[in-house]
Amino acid sequence: MDISIRIAGEAGQGVQSAGNLLVGALARTGFHVFTTKSYMSRIRGGLNWFDIRISDRELFAGREDPDLLVALTSEGLEILAPLMADGVVLFDGKEAKGAYAIPFTEAAKEAGNAIMANSVAAGAVFAVLGLDNIQLLNHLRIQFKSKSDELIEQNLRAARRGGELAASCAGRLEARPIDLGRDKVWAGSDAIGFGAVTAGVKFVTAYPMTPSTATLNYLAEVADDHGILVEQAEDEIAAVNMVCGSAYAGAPSMTVTSGGGFALMVEGVSLAGMLELPVVILLAQRPGPATGLPTRTAQADLQFAIYAGHGEFPKAVLAPGSHEECFSLARHAFALALEYQTPVIILTDQFLQDAEKNIEPPRADARPVDFHVVSVGGDYHRYSITDSGVSPRAVPGGEAFVVVDSDEHDSIGHISEDLLGDHIEQHNKRMRKGEGLTSRMLPPVELGHPDADNVMVCWGSSLGPCREAIDALIQAGEAWRLVHFAQVWPINGDLCRRHLRNPPRIVVVEGNSTGQFASILRQAGVIDKCEHCLRYDGLPFTAGYIVEQITGLSSRSTK
Amino acid sequence: MNLAKADTKPAWCPGCGNFGILKAFNAAIEEAHVDRRRLVLVSGIGQAAKLPHYIDGNANVFNGLHGRAIPAATGIKLANHSLEVVVTSGDGDMYGEGGNHLLHAMRRNIGIHCFVHNNQVYGLTKGQASPTSDSGFMTLLQSHGVMSAPFQAMAAAIVADASFVARSFSGDFEHLKAMMIEAMKVDGFALLEILQPCVTFNKVNTFSWYRQRVKPIDPAHDPYDRAGALELAFRWGDEIPIGVYYRSKRPGFESQLPVLKTGTLVS
Repeated sequence: MDISIRIAGEAGQGVQSAGNLLVGALARTGFHVFTTKSYMSRIRGGLNWFDIRISDRELFAGREDPDLLVALTSEGLEILAPLMADGVVLFDGKEAKGAYAIPFTEAAKEAGNAIMANSVAAGAVFAVLGLDNIQLLNHLRIQFKSKSDELIEQNLRAARRGGELAASCAGRLEARPIDLGRDKVWAGSDAIGFGAVTAGVKFVTAYPMTPSTATLNYLAEVADDHGILVEQAEDEIAAVNMVCGSAYAGAPSMTVTSGGGFALMVEGVSLAGMLELPVVILLAQRPGPATGLPTRTAQADLQFAIYAGHGEFPKAVLAPGSHEECFSLARHAFALALEYQTPVIILTDQFLQDAEKNIEPPRADARPVDFHVVSVGGDYHRYSITDSGVSPRAVPGGEAFVVVDSDEHDSIGHISEDLLGDHIEQHNKRMRKGEGLTSRMLPPVELGHPDADNVMVCWGSSLGPCREAIDALIQAGEAWRLVHFAQVWPINGDLCRRHLRNPPRIVVVEGNSTGQFASILRQAGVIDKCEHCLRYDGLPFTAGYIVEQITGLSSRSTK
Repeated sequence: MNLAKADTKPAWCPGCGNFGILKAFNAAIEEAHVDRRRLVLVSGIGQAAKLPHYIDGNANVFNGLHGRAIPAATGIKLANHSLEVVVTSGDGDMYGEGGNHLLHAMRRNIGIHCFVHNNQVYGLTKGQASPTSDSGFMTLLQSHGVMSAPFQAMAAAIVADASFVARSFSGDFEHLKAMMIEAMKVDGFALLEILQPCVTFNKVNTFSWYRQRVKPIDPAHDPYDRAGALELAFRWGDEIPIGVYYRSKRPGFESQLPVLKTGTLVS
């Protein structure tokens, strides 16, 4: 069982609220739920949609086309209904060709208020899916528990009315719930935020930018409960420099941004490298260049992130591939940044930021990571030369005086132009930390047949769609293996070669037009020849898209 | 090549106004009994921004990027508001490259204390106009003279309602030291602009040019009188007022943050 439901309408019309209501109610009914969002960069008008996929098996991505379309506007109907091979279409109105016309808004007005059209629509969807509406009604009671009894009653009435109005198409799609028992859905953005919280983040500052803002909002929401200070910066340059200041002073610190905002931060990334500050930056990608497509998705800032910052200094770039990795890699980012005293970038994108899934809840009791702060006195040298390149880090306010300088400096931290002495010694010391980061690279994750001749390679958010794609290919009788990279920089060539094992066919799947990660792997000597499966239309990968592309690739190569 | 011997301290020209500022600062931290372990000097880039490296005795130092001293200082103060955070940097760094940060730090009224060395010219990049250069000021780059109006920091800070707005002169040791001590007592944002000559690149606003014009503010001036303070801030030319222009009753930013009520972010 695998059903995808699409709610479509104008911005500001309640697509989001209708989606949220259904997601909550369907999760509560006992399904595996996975959602994706497609919206335009505007406050009103346009055409936005919210896809909710439900199954009795775990889901890792969305699908290209839905089985059930709920069109709240005629544009939604005209543009999206023709994309469906079959399935059911509901339209908010009196009549519509090829669709079940159900007057959601009208019925909501009769129930008390047009705003409850969402509840009517949800009731209708439950009917189409042949589901008992008991969990929908429960969810409405919980969602509105702080509101008046009258309002709750009106919403329940609206939901029941939706079910009645959909009587003619009731049970058209057969959804069989399992008793999964996971009511709460997590967005990737929230899982990253929660990972940061459990790691021990204390200071967060950012300038709002889609799609990173969702994480900022999450952190602001939970800040008071965890003693975290969240401040909106005047711009991204301020944000990254504030984070450098707070990290210097000893607070685990983080900023979040997207494309152009990260471009503004780049000098600050270099500063964190030079000052050897544990700074964590969430870079949530969207298509560029410039303002690009602000609300869409892409994996096109990989090389930009890896090479961000003038001069040479070590950094790590981590790219979560699932909600679970959003949580665990946010923690790992803090652990690495604090241990190696250098910037760590978490590279995600609109798809994974906004995608919701009812995962097994992340561990709230996960312990904070080691802050690696020493308490020393006397003759303290912030940049003492060590084998690992990591110098014991004290923070100001204690016995030690802590001196840091963006100019090249001596081991104390004072400005120095001693080229062969301080400069070379300090440069080599910094770069030795990069060797540590390389040797500690997170091993790629392997899925599928261990000895398959066909190997799919992915990084970051493409993991979910690729995972479903190899399942489909294996079911079709092909032998496939998937190798997923959660750490995309630095690359440990020996380790990666052990996981790739030089198969006859490699397809690298990534959301850009130039095969950026394939270049990184080639440069590190991990792969030689490979095929590319790319997507850069602003929409997320799906298994359907990948399988179609790969089938096309193989038919082309056999000609 | 070993340049260690050539890398002398300080990097300032003989007669530079920065020497007066350094001397007054050394005296101010002594006289005010500032706990040096809790003192953090933050600067950006420029000749003025090197001051933290040259002070007598020790302090914590964050010498960051050009124009970005204020956000770094803001981060430090928010992480540990028990620290005394002093920003010391030049007019190009603070009013030019970092102008936006100055504006918003004053709006926040964050408890950092900024000493802006204002010599009305760029020194380290060798003689271009600064945001405070007078109209008509000739340089190699501004060969037809400066056409932009000079940035009026005193007025901007009064309008932004910063806690403390003052001006002093590098050639008046006692006055400058007193202003520094006053600034470091402030709960919110303190802007202390320090007029100083650049002996190499500014042949107009020389030591004697300033000396002839600076005049202590009439003790009858009430610094809580915003309109009166603004009137003083617009005076520039034959007479340049020095002293405390303005004080605000607005609380400092940190005192309004619930999360900092029970301690610092590092405690």
